[in-house]
Amino acid sequence: MLRFVVGRLAASVAIVLVVATASFLLLHAAPGGPFDTGERRSAEVTRALEARYGLRDPLAVQYARYMSRLVRGDLGTSMRKDRSVGALIAEHGPVSASIGMMALAFALGAGLLLGAAAAWRRDTWIDRLAMAAALVGISVPAFVLGPLLVAALSLELGWLPPARLDGPSSYLLPALTLGAIYTGAIARLVRGGLVDALGQDFIRTARAKGLPERLILWKHALRAGAAPVVTYLGPATAAMISGSFVVEKIFQIPGLGTYFVTSIADRDYPVLTGVFVFYAILVVGLNLAVDLAYGVLDPRARAR
Amino acid sequence: MAACVTACGLPEGDYFGRLDGRVDPAHFRWCNQAEPDHLDPARASSTASTPLVSALFAGLTTYGPDGSPVPSLATRWEIDDDLRTFTFHLRGDARWTSGRAVTAYDVAYSALRVAHPLTGSPSADGLAPIKGAAGYLARAVFVLRRDVPPYRAGEIVERVAGEPAHGAEAVAAVAAVAAEPAPDLALRTASRELALRDLGAPELAAYARVPAGRPVTLVLTTGGRATPPSPRTPSGDGPWAYVFAGAPAGAEGAPAGAGAGGVYGWVPAAELDGEPNADATVRVRRVTAKHTPGRAGPAAELLADEQAPRPIVLARGRDLAHSPDALGVRVPDAQTIVFECADPTPYFLSLTANRALRTAPIEAVSRRPTGWTDPAHIATSGPLHLAAWRARDRIELVRSPTYWAPGEVRFARMTVYPMDDQAAATAFYRTGGCDAGATNTIPATYLPALSGELRGRPYKDYRVDPYLSIYFLWIQTEKLSNRHLRRALALAIDRAAVPRFTHGGELPTSQLTPGAPIASLSDADLAACGVSRDHPGYALVMEPGALCYVPPPGLGYDPAAAARELAEARRDPSWREPLEYRYNAGAEAHKLIAEYLQASWGKIGLRVELVAQEWNSLLEDTRTGNYQIARLGGAGTVADTESEFLPLFRCGSPDNRGRYCSPEFERLMDEARALRDRRARNLVLRRAEAVMLEDAPVIPIYVYTQKHLIRPYVRDYAINLVDQPALWRVWLDPDWRR
Repeated sequence: MLRFVVGRLAASVAIVLVVATASFLLLHAAPGGPFDTGERRSAEVTRALEARYGLRDPLAVQYARYMSRLVRGDLGTSMRKDRSVGALIAEHGPVSASIGMMALAFALGAGLLLGAAAAWRRDTWIDRLAMAAALVGISVPAFVLGPLLVAALSLELGWLPPARLDGPSSYLLPALTLGAIYTGAIARLVRGGLVDALGQDFIRTARAKGLPERLILWKHALRAGAAPVVTYLGPATAAMISGSFVVEKIFQIPGLGTYFVTSIADRDYPVLTGVFVFYAILVVGLNLAVDLAYGVLDPRARAR
Repeated sequence: MAACVTACGLPEGDYFGRLDGRVDPAHFRWCNQAEPDHLDPARASSTASTPLVSALFAGLTTYGPDGSPVPSLATRWEIDDDLRTFTFHLRGDARWTSGRAVTAYDVAYSALRVAHPLTGSPSADGLAPIKGAAGYLARAVFVLRRDVPPYRAGEIVERVAGEPAHGAEAVAAVAAVAAEPAPDLALRTASRELALRDLGAPELAAYARVPAGRPVTLVLTTGGRATPPSPRTPSGDGPWAYVFAGAPAGAEGAPAGAGAGGVYGWVPAAELDGEPNADATVRVRRVTAKHTPGRAGPAAELLADEQAPRPIVLARGRDLAHSPDALGVRVPDAQTIVFECADPTPYFLSLTANRALRTAPIEAVSRRPTGWTDPAHIATSGPLHLAAWRARDRIELVRSPTYWAPGEVRFARMTVYPMDDQAAATAFYRTGGCDAGATNTIPATYLPALSGELRGRPYKDYRVDPYLSIYFLWIQTEKLSNRHLRRALALAIDRAAVPRFTHGGELPTSQLTPGAPIASLSDADLAACGVSRDHPGYALVMEPGALCYVPPPGLGYDPAAAARELAEARRDPSWREPLEYRYNAGAEAHKLIAEYLQASWGKIGLRVELVAQEWNSLLEDTRTGNYQIARLGGAGTVADTESEFLPLFRCGSPDNRGRYCSPEFERLMDEARALRDRRARNLVLRRAEAVMLEDAPVIPIYVYTQKHLIRPYVRDYAINLVDQPALWRVWLDPDWRR
């Protein structure tokens, strides 16, 4: 077990370094730089700006400098805002995480209920209704769902604020918008896992010994059928808590997701590599957690 | 779906924004168009930061309701007849929020900071008219510290590249020098530990320490033309030096007490006893008289000096000082500051309201060069003060406790919401989130509803005004060198149709210089423009009621003439079709306009293909000349065509993306530059613009408009051509219904 964890951690470090290198090189290969903003600016001013951020050094020197800082845990400083990338993540990360956790809770709760209902009443109208709802959740993108929710619940009915995080009620629309897509996916996975599990011998045994159906479904079947959901939850959680550009833009949320897009448009090299490294660490860490969770859920995995 | 968001459930009444709440006159809530990049006047470059910088930091002048400069720190000024020397007299009662008086030294320091290469200020070009400013930024002008025959100590010299040269070659040599790596002659070391502190403070009050031997950059010395006098201290009366220690964000090794951005501070100059590049050699020659601070004189004399020989000599690092004494900035006493420009600069007064000449507090900047605008560390000099700043969430401003005219600010606090999504900003306004929104925080999908196209009458809280900004097409004149073709392209477009699908009340134009519709001008402005109210087109009012520029008409819609020009162009043996038009992807309006242009050109039989590009790629391609026709826009910050619009088309301009170069245009621009009478000057500029427009290196499409949503109880929200709302003068009227 320990060897497994140590091995995975070593591989994770390598993955993070590869992500850092790839994002660094790709963004530097894109045309333009952080100070080509289309404003009229003399060559001297651009030179002074570039000198200030070390952009006039050869790319190899910039890369070496970036990596040597990265391994010491320093993600560098934003070239457009002069703030350290670590501070940006520390400031905006928790906002994304809180919305993400709400979205996750919503997606898990609603997804489990929909999926279990569909599996339990398989091939009835309940199943079809639940799966239709799941399909809508998966297919309607956030940039459509978000404005529709705003138009209906906020502009028309005036129940919830249309934008910005200000008070508990303002978290609902963004969390709902962000969670919808994952709700659908989780519901489908739960249904698949449960249908599979409910047909197995150990369920027949449980029924034969007279266990109540409720217990069979929620304790035995769900535990066995949960593996695909758990697998999915690793990257899904990373995506949810690291913030979504679209949701943050629609609702004007000061989260981290925005930087995944704006730092590319701004050519803000340290911010882009910083948020990608952060995201890579999240994904790798959560996947490791998922693998460890298999052991808890499934005795066979522990032996492997 | 987008159509439904706007068309379903539009508000019924006269106002788009909900008006059921009580008006709180003490609290002004403003939706900004984005998060400001910086609040530091030297570092800010986004339009979202400008109105906030203007409210926080006083300048010699500030923006009046009509956008023209009005007295602020300076209560009066003198402009010499030559339009080169500008003397400002400061008020005595201006205070930083730290309690210290705001003096002419603060203004000078702030200007020098913007001009200094270590600052990396995007606004440094705003100071370019000042003598020596461009060379100072490039570390290419120096003050001679000792005689280097034939030059004398104290003379200003400039670095030149390559071998000694004369005439035009010498000019090229100076242009080349900035790009050449050169040793930093401002580096100094000390044989003892340096204790960085405020000017004249005891060593114990040091806030950062630099180990002995570590190089620092010498920035200023006391007792200079624009620096404070040397302080009297118990340890002696010698000059003090202001140094930068630690590395810029890109490099390693900051001293103790310094943040990531390094640290500045004062030390007795005598402690800087080492000079790493003392023996480095640099080729220099004296600068011309017009670039020499303190040298004024008849234009003819200055011109004659340009022809006089200026031998190139070899100087050593120890002979040269990268000093602000090489700049045309002088502080004769704490209440007076003098700026000298190399050429007549009629619009200099307007520059003094810009962010490049707003005051920054030296004590705060020195301690935290990149973090001083944090609410915990900031000191301000303007009408408002920064109370809180939560990135991308809100900025809280309060009435400044030290502002000299507290009565100007009638609210107690102002909340700024950064709304970079227009749909969210508009929904937030509609549901009562903010009292007013910055320019263009409204998505295009809402415009038909707001302007009344959908319901037959506009909402009363929606306003459309002209903006000193123009939507135009560049033509790469080296690739499309056939003048007939370029003229055909310009003549084929009926611009009047464009606002019908952009919906923002844009003002179609074939003139380059933007302005306000002549029909909308006041009688006094109309008189200044010298045209009648039925004169078509736009005019730029430069000084209300006094000075006005009426651009020439340019190449308007004339399909018959376009067809003739095209037929002429097709005789060119190198004729190639189709042409290519580039625009930036992502905005629906650019796409619609591109398709409209394609159809317009198609009507005269010209095939043009459309290419949508990412914004940065479009900028890069237009900069390197890798295009034929491309859309861009140009916004001005000063109501003067000479400051930002016409210079684009000069041969050597770095922003001349059309690579246009016309001897006639150059001659007229130079002729205008030599004129002191501003009316006469405008007449020559008008001829220059006409020559350029007839050559069609550019096709103007429309003057941009500013679209605003402002609630009816918001008073004195000044909308002006340069989009500089003086937000601190806004007040909220709880009795507005009466």
